[in-house]
Amino acid sequence: MTTPARQDDTALLIHAYLDGELDPIHVVEMERRLAADPALTAERDRIEALRFAIVERLPRERLPEGLLGRIEHAAGVRRERAHPSWQALAAAVILAAVMASGATWFMLRPGPAQASAELVVASHVRALMAPQPIDVNSSDRHTVKPWFNGRIPQSPQVVDLADKGFPLIGGRIDVIGRNPVPALVYRHRQHLISLVAIPNAGGMSAPDRQVIAGYNVLSWNDDGVTYWAVSDLGIDDLDAFAQAFRPASREQ
Amino acid sequence: MSKVATDEERARFRQVVLPYLTDCYGLARWLTGDRADAEDVVQDACLSALRAINGFAGTNARAWTLTIVRHTAYRWLRKNRSAALVVVEDPEAIQRADADCGADVGNGSAESPEAALIAKTEAARLERAIADLPIPFRETLVLRDVQGLDYREIAQVTGVPIGTVMSRLARARSRLIATLGTDAS
Repeated sequence: MTTPARQDDTALLIHAYLDGELDPIHVVEMERRLAADPALTAERDRIEALRFAIVERLPRERLPEGLLGRIEHAAGVRRERAHPSWQALAAAVILAAVMASGATWFMLRPGPAQASAELVVASHVRALMAPQPIDVNSSDRHTVKPWFNGRIPQSPQVVDLADKGFPLIGGRIDVIGRNPVPALVYRHRQHLISLVAIPNAGGMSAPDRQVIAGYNVLSWNDDGVTYWAVSDLGIDDLDAFAQAFRPASREQ
Repeated sequence: MSKVATDEERARFRQVVLPYLTDCYGLARWLTGDRADAEDVVQDACLSALRAINGFAGTNARAWTLTIVRHTAYRWLRKNRSAALVVVEDPEAIQRADADCGADVGNGSAESPEAALIAKTEAARLERAIADLPIPFRETLVLRDVQGLDYREIAQVTGVPIGTVMSRLARARSRLIATLGTDAS
């Protein structure tokens, strides 16, 4: 039995737990309590259901027509081009990669896919070298998706694949050619997988494999998004990951 | 405006404030409850932000900008809707509400039929339930669950300690769960 004080504490901490705000020690403690306490599990389910409803049902507020222009006028700031489109982003990615790599590389290995792959691998490696490879630390997709919502124009499909052997451990924002793009991070045994999602013009394609700097890279298109999966996992395991992710993301 | 902004200040304003205009408008709309009023608030807030741009320390542009929007919205509410701001946060009520939270955790059934009901809530009902929350709870919930700020950022924007953010968020969600977890019909 918990004392009333502890009960109050738990009532607050369950929210912090679901919001990814608890430190690892309290996370473990909360998971232990959840496993032992069906009433607490039920409370967690209600909170998750609420957050699901807010993210999925509540219409996103859009900026009213003309407000930006009025503010720019009132503030005396010159109007420049609107936000870059995703097509422009794709062009920027290619341009940045070409400029970064030099003309020799460009002549030897043409193609935008290769350019993006290099940048995605670079982000993955940089993330592995950072103190922690993720910005939002949560296995709960209802935490990870809203975290992206506030930070980038389009949040990715977030699915947990724990039952397929690829638990979601969080997400981060990579910068590819000056543009922020969402990256989901999954774990398989001791290996991390970065999955970068870049909206594109549409269409679908089968996974394309390559090896860059010793990392396996898979890319495919689904419903207007180009996905890049990078890992030091073997290519068969990475294939299995893509096969698990693709149907799950389409069900969303 | 008492002084004219320099080119440098305007450039900084573009960089710091304008990227978060949609967030600004969203917060202003939830606080004022009205789209046209929200536009006025955002425009006023932007001009305040331009005047104060040199005070931005360069750490968190979104939280800094939203803080100004919130101040502006509160000023607007005081002038136009003073009743909306009368929220009595007496300690006894807080204790009662917290005790209710605790009781929910203690007595909730293992199967959670409310969870299924809540997940199916229609947009209009959800919107009304959030709009009906007292303003400190509403703004905390909106900043967290709609706009995705973390607790530290919410504490910065709303000017309260993180512990208060946590209790307001818990109470906001508990109220919504209580409202939405029962059948509408």
